[in-house]
Amino acid sequence: MNWGTKMAENDMELDQLFAQARQTRPELPDDLSVRILTDAEAVRLDRLKPAAPPRSVWARILDGIGGWQSMSGLVAASAAGVWIGVSAPDFLPDPATIIYPQETSFVVADLGLDTTFLEDAE
Amino acid sequence: MEDLTSPLHEIRGASCAADMSDDVLLRQFANGDAAAARELTDRLAPRCLSVAMRMLGNRAEAEDVTQDAMMRLWQMAPNWVSGQAKVSTWLYRVTLNLCVDVQRKKRPDRLDDVPEPEDGDLSAAERLQDAARKDALQAALSQLPDRQRQAVILRHIEELPNPEIAGIMGVSTEAVESLTARGKRALAAILAGRQDELGYEDG
Repeated sequence: MNWGTKMAENDMELDQLFAQARQTRPELPDDLSVRILTDAEAVRLDRLKPAAPPRSVWARILDGIGGWQSMSGLVAASAAGVWIGVSAPDFLPDPATIIYPQETSFVVADLGLDTTFLEDAE
Repeated sequence: MEDLTSPLHEIRGASCAADMSDDVLLRQFANGDAAAARELTDRLAPRCLSVAMRMLGNRAEAEDVTQDAMMRLWQMAPNWVSGQAKVSTWLYRVTLNLCVDVQRKKRPDRLDDVPEPEDGDLSAAERLQDAARKDALQAALSQLPDRQRQAVILRHIEELPNPEIAGIMGVSTEAVESLTARGKRALAAILAGRQDELGYEDG
């Protein structure tokens, strides 16, 4: 058999193999079809979702200080501060006396001096 | 949530979608039409799977590539410009690129673990010989360089015209002719070495 005949035979065999391959192309299995359509549905629904509304000024401030959790911590700390200010424990100096010193007349009375001359003057 | 996979949906979608072009269906899907997705899947996914099976020689990988290629189609839908190219051309190109990615990631020795669907009405001996022939084609295909393999599969198994293959592969029609011719010659030479195993002398 010469080389040309051999090649022609090989070509015919190859064409036969291609024809066979065309006849046995795989069908789309149902489970793959479901996977593909599930993806399509997810993409479609995602696209139909309305855009998020613009955020309010208050929401943006809240985000800036770290959200509601930080806010609750801030509120608790402030409340504790107010409580200490109003009703200080005994071992702390009374903040009222630091900010507003006592009036002079009380100081004089406390020293036990005679103040009747003040009453006489009236 | 509307269930795309239900039979009811199939009935509703089938009446009109079958007459539309891929282009129109894709636009309808982008506009929120769920039935268009089913019709596009029925038309295009089997082609992806067929090409991917021949490129990879592995069913599970081919199915993953098909799902991935179709996912890209769904995501691309709103940006599709009608009339510029065929949807199927775009999808074939995506499929081939995904196959190349898969091949790069896997070891060469996994190229030809290729179970093929078997025909029901053949004798056991015929089935064996038939399987050997199909495996022979797959094994031979897997020895071709990527571009030759792509061109041969698209031309001789998918039966696409050369200009469309040129569009898919991003080369000229002449380049496609050259790739398919060289690919065929190489396949014939590879198979010639295995002729005795395939039982052609008897058939």
